[in-house]
Amino acid sequence: MSIGLLLWLFSVSVGASALGGLLGMAGGIFIVPILTIFGHTDIHTAIGASIVSVIACSCGSAAPFLKNRLTNIRLAIVLETATTLGALTGVLLAGIIPTAYLFFLFALVLVVSAKQMMARRGESTITDTTVDSNRWSAALRLNSSYPDRILGGEISYQVQRIPLGMMLMYGAGLISALLGIGSGVLKIPAMDTALRLPIKVSSGTSNFMIGVTAAASAGAYFMRGDIVPAIAGPVALGSVAGSILGARILMVVSSDRIRVLFVVVLLLLAVQMLLSTFGIHLMGFSE
Amino acid sequence: MSMDTIKVSRFELLLAGLLKHGTWLASAIIATGLALALMQGRSGDHGSIIGSSMHIITIGIACLILLPVVRVAFMLVIFLKERDYRFAAIAAIVLTIIFAGIALGMHMAKTQAPAHSTATLPS
Repeated sequence: MSIGLLLWLFSVSVGASALGGLLGMAGGIFIVPILTIFGHTDIHTAIGASIVSVIACSCGSAAPFLKNRLTNIRLAIVLETATTLGALTGVLLAGIIPTAYLFFLFALVLVVSAKQMMARRGESTITDTTVDSNRWSAALRLNSSYPDRILGGEISYQVQRIPLGMMLMYGAGLISALLGIGSGVLKIPAMDTALRLPIKVSSGTSNFMIGVTAAASAGAYFMRGDIVPAIAGPVALGSVAGSILGARILMVVSSDRIRVLFVVVLLLLAVQMLLSTFGIHLMGFSE
Repeated sequence: MSMDTIKVSRFELLLAGLLKHGTWLASAIIATGLALALMQGRSGDHGSIIGSSMHIITIGIACLILLPVVRVAFMLVIFLKERDYRFAAIAAIVLTIIFAGIALGMHMAKTQAPAHSTATLPS
């Protein structure tokens, strides 16, 4: 293993996770495109390394969410049955889907993420009280509350439309396994719109679930031999460092500027991933 | 209800501690392996020692992958202790799915030789 390659992988992952961490997501969405476009890594190897980094980001950043009670643990374990099942389906599909389609799908997810980053998630304080739609959450005691410093005091919330939420989570798990991303991009809207969770609770709960979802596919990829230690090792270590760094920068930089940078990077990567679908490479070093 | 809240927040603190320390442990193992690989890379000494440093990195990665699995197993134990059998069953389902994934990976490794097993590194 060359020192240059190791340092490159490490710094790319620090950057990806720091940038992702600034907006509350894992850096996986950057790692796969960067490794395949600039490093000419095989896409399955890149996905294997990325899924390990997703676990690192999720576990490494879980503690503050848990301590502030922004993670609904009961809801998380219920939804994890759907995300892990989705991940299993994704592993099966990853073995048969042609590489070109993976690049195309990735480009699509990048565009969707960019679109979502531009439309900022608004904090809606409207809590509609449709009691009869909450049979599931009442039976499973999923409704909870969290302390909000800005609004002041305990904010209680009810979890709604669990079956729809479960279906969306299955899809999120599938995409996560297939592309090696945390797919927080898909989980958070599902939680905001279907389950109607407060924004902070959906971020905390999504972050918690991402690790288990990724572990379900990472276990399979590890056994299959898709996780190459020389690549996944520096990527995982860089991701842990990056997520810590991201949390620090978050306190001093305005998130609006980061958002613009984020969207630009996502769109650029989307264009190149789309070109890669047809085997065209504009960027990166030539071998 | 207030008793319940207190119990839950202790549960959350335990989970937070597990995930945080687990991440540090796995990262330390990976870092050790990488440091060894770098030292050997510099001295130009290839061969079995490179293999052993890769082995250490692999162990660190395996620890990282197992960390969320341990977290679910830990939740299962807590739910059982609280006699919350419905949630213990849900945690057991999640664990079963994860182990099914591992079994699936082993099966895939045996049956289909992956075309990308010899990953080409840019060097």
